[in-house]
Amino acid sequence: MNFLKLTKSVYAYLGFHSYAPDAHADGLIEECLKEVEKLSHFRYVYKYFGSPPAFLQKKPYENYLKGCGGVIISVMTLGAEIDRRLSYYGISDRTKAVVFDACASAYLENLSDEYEKTIADNLSYRFCPGYGGSDVADLKYIFEILQPEKIGMSLTDSFYMLPCKSMAGIIAVGGTHKKSCGGCALKEHCRYLKEGTKCYGTDNE
Amino acid sequence: MLRYGQRVTVFDGGMGSEIEKRGLSGIPEDLNITHPREISAIHCAYSSADCITTNTFGLNAIKYRGAFGLKELAEKAVENARTAGKPVFFDIGPTGAALKPVGTLTFDEAYDAFAEMVGYTKDIVDGYILETFSDLYEIKAAVLAVKENSDKPVFATMTFDGSGRTLTGSTPEIAAYTLEGLGVDAVGVNCSLGPKELQSIVGRFLACCSVPVIVQPNCGLPVLENGRTVYKLSVEEFYSYIEKFVGMGAAIVGGCCGTTPEFIDAISRLSGKEVRRPSVAACTAVCSATRKVEIDGVKICGERLNPTGKKKLKEALLSGDYGYLVGEAVSQQEAGADLLDLNVGLPQIDEARVMRKAVTEIQEYCDLPLQIDSSSAEAIEAGVRYYNGIPLINSVNGDGQVMDKIFPVAKKYGAVVLGLAMDKNGVPQTAEKRFEVAKRIVERAGEYGIPRHKIMIDTLVLTASAEQSLVKETVKALLLVKNLGVKTALGVSNVSYGLPNRGLLNKTFLTMAMTCGLNMPIINPLDGEMTGAVKAFEVLSGIDENSEKYIEEYKDYSAEVSAVGTASSKAEKGGVNNLYDCVLKGIKSQAAVLCNKELEKHGPMTVVNQSVIKALDEVGRAYDGGKLFLPQLISSAEAAQLAFGVISQRLPKGESGKGVVVLATVKGDVHDIGKNIVKAVTQSYGYEVIDLGKDVPCEKVVEACLEYKPSALGLSALMTTTVKSMEETVAAVKGAGCVCPVFVGGAVLNATVAKNIGADYYTKDALEFVKTLDCVLNK
Repeated sequence: MNFLKLTKSVYAYLGFHSYAPDAHADGLIEECLKEVEKLSHFRYVYKYFGSPPAFLQKKPYENYLKGCGGVIISVMTLGAEIDRRLSYYGISDRTKAVVFDACASAYLENLSDEYEKTIADNLSYRFCPGYGGSDVADLKYIFEILQPEKIGMSLTDSFYMLPCKSMAGIIAVGGTHKKSCGGCALKEHCRYLKEGTKCYGTDNE
Repeated sequence: MLRYGQRVTVFDGGMGSEIEKRGLSGIPEDLNITHPREISAIHCAYSSADCITTNTFGLNAIKYRGAFGLKELAEKAVENARTAGKPVFFDIGPTGAALKPVGTLTFDEAYDAFAEMVGYTKDIVDGYILETFSDLYEIKAAVLAVKENSDKPVFATMTFDGSGRTLTGSTPEIAAYTLEGLGVDAVGVNCSLGPKELQSIVGRFLACCSVPVIVQPNCGLPVLENGRTVYKLSVEEFYSYIEKFVGMGAAIVGGCCGTTPEFIDAISRLSGKEVRRPSVAACTAVCSATRKVEIDGVKICGERLNPTGKKKLKEALLSGDYGYLVGEAVSQQEAGADLLDLNVGLPQIDEARVMRKAVTEIQEYCDLPLQIDSSSAEAIEAGVRYYNGIPLINSVNGDGQVMDKIFPVAKKYGAVVLGLAMDKNGVPQTAEKRFEVAKRIVERAGEYGIPRHKIMIDTLVLTASAEQSLVKETVKALLLVKNLGVKTALGVSNVSYGLPNRGLLNKTFLTMAMTCGLNMPIINPLDGEMTGAVKAFEVLSGIDENSEKYIEEYKDYSAEVSAVGTASSKAEKGGVNNLYDCVLKGIKSQAAVLCNKELEKHGPMTVVNQSVIKALDEVGRAYDGGKLFLPQLISSAEAAQLAFGVISQRLPKGESGKGVVVLATVKGDVHDIGKNIVKAVTQSYGYEVIDLGKDVPCEKVVEACLEYKPSALGLSALMTTTVKSMEETVAAVKGAGCVCPVFVGGAVLNATVAKNIGADYYTKDALEFVKTLDCVLNK
């Protein structure tokens, strides 16, 4: 994978925002990304629906899905070995733990973007329970639909997906909805906004 | 009882696709009661198989969410399967919940769920088949649940992906070694992939274990057609692969997802064929869930997790500070240990309880195999039971009573046993007599069904100062016991007690012993001289081919570089010459040295205030101003913490820190990286932190607050769903009469939420936490 592409997200996760990192930080990020790539076992499950399943027939999903031709429900994970390594660094080298964590997140986002492109064209961005005021507990429906236990994922009683580096996505096919800060619960405290930037790339706009 | 393994046994095929074909839906297990005729018809359609599997894959108290009783469903499922007129195997699938450390389910909870199902069925089935497991720890719980509650055969299969690992990272070799050790009747692979893709995995199973191998592949790789998953392999193709597996030595074959009665009819032609497979060379090995270590050549067993002569470890064991144990384990792994000895024996503690806790804590972070070391059979069993893999047991000796206690435990869990070449009468003087004891140990182990390759012998090191003439007997005994076909171990550093320059003696003795066949020195891996001797030996004895490992290790070696400390990561920065800069730049490797240097000139408090805190404050300002990023902040915190470690030794007891802070990530919440950052920064400012970890129940937080009477309690939660649990924790702590201020933090919190749930302070990040804490406590 082209790590350069990921480095920008990693900087953002680590709080760099608009500031320039140093060579040392870059070295550590590269070291961690290499290890993340080695230890990751990217797995996913998805299902296509011509019309949205029942749990999506409410706000804010309806807004997001307005005008779409179908919806893909998907989960993906980097697997358990990343979690284990993260725990290990939490003990052996806490600086590295923080960088490794950020690298794994960026890596997962990127792989997910790449694999989504292989499913279909004209996909909207990934929406997920918890975004835009939706209830994170809706993840249980996604787990019922996809049964991702087979790829080693599980959902705790408090709706955490495990392993830690896992994501769920509701993706409108042919939708017109764009990402915006308007509906974001964090907008009042958002560091990106204060700096005049956004947490998401412009290619989704 | 039926015998499996000598002739080919054919199992049935997929259940899900047959259910779908008949237009049935809902929870598959419920169909046993709601549609018994249809389910029986599916079983009957598979009657060309030698054995039928019940429709109970998701039937256990953790996974099943339907309306019927588990017992009723299990009985009905067996009754339906019986209609095919063949032996019936009860199907047990995973719980669907992730076990600790990945998830929150405990080993015992998983065990209980499986044992419950075995309890309902042990008298009405012919065997058990554990299928589609992806976590070695969970399938261990399931195997124990079957074996401890029934005497029927148990087959155990796991799923692997294209990389040849289970979802939790176990290889076929690790799965086979662990499951064979636990005494299953057949081991292998199901589901996962199609037969074509499983060829190498099947080959690896056959090459590494001697129990019958079972293979139940999917019908090729799934293909998505019009939103439906379909499998496209033809009956002929499927048959040809299964025939090939049988030719390789597989004894039990069947089908998984996508296979239908036609597939099983085809492969039933192979039933009864004689199973021929090449014999497998036995090796002495131990393993964790993700790492198998064969004890050949020289393997280093880290000795530091043993409280004898170690004050800090003793204190940690007494106070239940498992974080210290984990730290010791990880630092030994970093230093190159191959496995770790774990001994928690102290007169004041419940050794079995502490052993169990220590094993589960350590294996969460460190993937080196463990050596469970105790003189108590109960503590050994506690450690071995909760160990995820095949451990080494330390130890038995030639005393019959000791062997009679330990060998049954070793046999049950498949552990390797270290035998000390001594008995009730002490350590024999001569090598020959020690050999006799070793021989007795090996023979007695054989009576318990423990093969030679699962025994190692320690020929016992005596001190050169007291018994100089016996040192060479130890070494000679190594050569003798090799004739028994066992691997050897020695606690090397015993040799130098009472003499000056112990390191020199230890290193020389280690080299003597390795030359005479020592396989496992039990040493301090942090001692670079000792591990260096092992690396040098591996070059000189030809183990390290082309000196590759040695060159990799020493390629940057220069005689002037002393062993001041190892860089924490390859990317660590260059040198600084004072503590202030060292903390400012976060250079951990030099913190202790530079701190000692300043303590030569200044008092401890001056060093704290003028160097450590001053630098930390500067780092904090830069971070707040956006000029530093998070990893740099933590590097500085860690460097400061190392300096505090040095400084605290110079301070009178009780004055070493500013106060105690208890930290916890609340119940239900398993993401603790934020809390860990707070911990690092808080420690760097000189506070003592009691870290309760993640997913911490209210009661534990209350208990810790009452016990440590901390200056503050810090709670973290990442998601909205666990804020409730944070509120309950705050209420419980206040309700129990704890007066310490409660700080909360985490992504979903703010000052308003904090106030609403009864917390005293909300801080947005680690720095604000420490600054607020300083203010509050100085009021």
